Amino acid sequence: MNPLKKIFDENERHFAASGKFEKLSPLFDAIKTVFFHPSPKTVVMPFIRDHLDLKRYMTFVLIALMPVLFFGMYNTGFQSGLAAGKTFGMGKSFLVGAGYVLPILLVSYGVGLFWEILFASVRKHKISEGFLVTGMLFPLTLPATIPLWQVALGISFGVVIGKEVFGGTGRNILNPALTARAFVFFSYPVTLSGNVWVAAKDAVDGFSGATALAITGIEGESITRVLSSSGFSLSDLFLGFVPGSIGETSALCCLLGALFLMVTGIANYRIILGGIAGLAVTAILFYLIPGGQESWANAGPLYHLCAGGFLFGICFMATDPVSAPGTHTGRWAFGFLIGFLTVTIRVVNPAFVEGTMLAILFMNVFAPLLDHLVIKYKTSKRIPNV
Amino acid sequence: MEKIKISKGFTPRLAGMPDTSFIKAPTPRIVGLSAMDIPYIRPKLLVKENDPVLTGTPLFCDKRDTSIQYVSPGTGRVEKIWFGNRRRLQEVVIALDTPETFIQFDPVPKSDLKNISKQDLILRLKQGGLWQSLRQFPAKDTADSSHTPAMIIISLNGNDFFSPHPGILMNREKEAFEFGLDLLKRFSHRIIVTARQSSLDLLGPVKAHITHQVPDTYPAWDPGVVLFHLKKSSEENTAWSITADHLVMMGKFLLTGQYPIEKMVTITKKGEKKPHLLARQGAPIKTLVGSFHSNDMITTGQFNGRIADLESHLGFFENTLNIIDTPGEEEVFGFIRPGIDKTSVSRAFLSSFSKGPKQVDCTLHGEERACINCSYCENICPNGLMPNFIMKALHSDEIETALEYGLLDCCRCGLCSYTCPSKIELTKILSDGMDSYYKDKA
Repeated sequence: MNPLKKIFDENERHFAASGKFEKLSPLFDAIKTVFFHPSPKTVVMPFIRDHLDLKRYMTFVLIALMPVLFFGMYNTGFQSGLAAGKTFGMGKSFLVGAGYVLPILLVSYGVGLFWEILFASVRKHKISEGFLVTGMLFPLTLPATIPLWQVALGISFGVVIGKEVFGGTGRNILNPALTARAFVFFSYPVTLSGNVWVAAKDAVDGFSGATALAITGIEGESITRVLSSSGFSLSDLFLGFVPGSIGETSALCCLLGALFLMVTGIANYRIILGGIAGLAVTAILFYLIPGGQESWANAGPLYHLCAGGFLFGICFMATDPVSAPGTHTGRWAFGFLIGFLTVTIRVVNPAFVEGTMLAILFMNVFAPLLDHLVIKYKTSKRIPNV
Repeated sequence: MEKIKISKGFTPRLAGMPDTSFIKAPTPRIVGLSAMDIPYIRPKLLVKENDPVLTGTPLFCDKRDTSIQYVSPGTGRVEKIWFGNRRRLQEVVIALDTPETFIQFDPVPKSDLKNISKQDLILRLKQGGLWQSLRQFPAKDTADSSHTPAMIIISLNGNDFFSPHPGILMNREKEAFEFGLDLLKRFSHRIIVTARQSSLDLLGPVKAHITHQVPDTYPAWDPGVVLFHLKKSSEENTAWSITADHLVMMGKFLLTGQYPIEKMVTITKKGEKKPHLLARQGAPIKTLVGSFHSNDMITTGQFNGRIADLESHLGFFENTLNIIDTPGEEEVFGFIRPGIDKTSVSRAFLSSFSKGPKQVDCTLHGEERACINCSYCENICPNGLMPNFIMKALHSDEIETALEYGLLDCCRCGLCSYTCPSKIELTKILSDGMDSYYKDKA
């Protein structure tokens, strides 16, 4: 027998009912099932089952997030070097960035896991794998400069109010990671807006840590020209060598992850494609409206797509199946409207330079309504059978 | 011959397809009449232990309609009557005696079929223990003989992917099958005969009777799926269905006046290509399956059968036995293995690149979790249902909503449970919901 299996088997009694660590049994189970994949015998038909389970499902989202995470670490270090007036090499950028990102990630996972275990233990159910994704997504939406206590507070709010009060994974209406971010965004606006996007201990004078979306053109000059002269060329925005949240800067990495998720069938391609279509159509419409040359209204679809957190949001946040609609037509509409709202908020609402988070949360609330309409239409097409 | 197009459903690449030859199974010492595979029945015993019985003697009937009788598949003595929990009748076991003596009914010559009244035909079929092979939608209960169905669907292929090839039976029983078709025309104006695309080439003379060809995608040949794709109005919801082997039995019974005791069955196992078996009705499962690992599971349909106990007998509605492996130990890091030979609807395993048969076993491959709304069940349901939403409606006791979503169109093929990554027993939940509604209504 596998020696590791033996250790688990010997210690199982401590975590069983009336054992010493009975309360920690969800944690024990979670660790054990990572090593030894549980596969109980089927008792009702069908007797053979698909190999895909939620563990693999959620792990695949984590795999898709790896390019974003590693690039995020690298870019955090790279930007920090730029701010200090130096150009760091590949290795140094990565190490410096990891120094900023890893603590945030660990706090997010650690505090989030505490709440998960607490609720799993009180409710006597197993720890759902969905948390692995929430705990990773939340840090990636934050600037590297965020104080760790705010990370802890944010993830607590996201897990408890965003998910557990509704009954846990599968029953939440809002995406927990975005709920956490919205909480931090509105409670501590100073840490999530303005020149906070570059982590640097000794920035040179005149360095601005603002994101591309905060840029507005000078009277008479087009936004795209101003953007490229401020270091936000389209290729930089696409590749991600710009200031921003840890995970959002690289459009390329987000697209790689999205491609992986769509090909494997884990994320629903309808949301992603619908979202990109919605963003493109809306951006073109604003572009065609005369005037507003110096504002983001005139930036065109490509800039809107690559700047800010839209791709990160639509690829990883909006595709959360729980808070998205459960019907295919609903998903197209959901994605499209997120794209539409993102551009609209960016262009029309001066209070928020970035609209993705609010667009997704807003559409999360409307997801059941979209489902309701689609199902109503679909059932009206059925031949009644009662 | 029309083609029915079915866009959903799933065909796993399974190993163990039986060979299209057949051999005769040896005569067993005992046979049994199972009550476990009969939907909705409330059995009322008509015999006691040690009673002598003939082939065709009624052993139990249905309390809901005592004229529906289930008859002995052999001549001998009632050896044992098995009861399950709450004294639910499970099986009546008959120790066989020679010579085989049949309860003899008047045969109906081919030319006379037209002259016999419909009522008389119904009565004969009920007495012969064969009326119950006609099933009525939506719940697939025994057909109501006072009802005139809009159509009768005859499926040449059985419930499972590995059910007997209809060509083998049809080449032996063409006459009985055609007689059966003529008989059904007395009950309905519209007779639908369906066959899987892959079964067509061996069908021979019977091929001319096929009205609809269905693709080889599971469960395209299920009468429930055929009905869903053919129906145009809600009157057709109460159509009837019958399997080809039962229709042959009906034909033979009327032609000879004796209860037919033969049955073509398949025994399937991974990596084996066994011939079909010409066995007896109610043959003991132990003698049919042969060598067997005690850990493995025997089912009467991998997707929509029941778990068959080794000591039990093949039921009236069953004609395939699938031996499914049980894996040894839990897989180390199972959730992240590349999975070169793992079956999956998703493309989350490397197996989606390979064409060969895939690994199948009788475990869940994970643990139950809450529904995450991933729509895998909707993507696979052959009848266009949204099992996840129906499940939620049923959980909140919104039976009207569930019906509106099409609950009664469910054909219980098992694919929603098969594919669910949260391992929710969707088929069971839907099926139970349908049963409780149907029983309530009756």
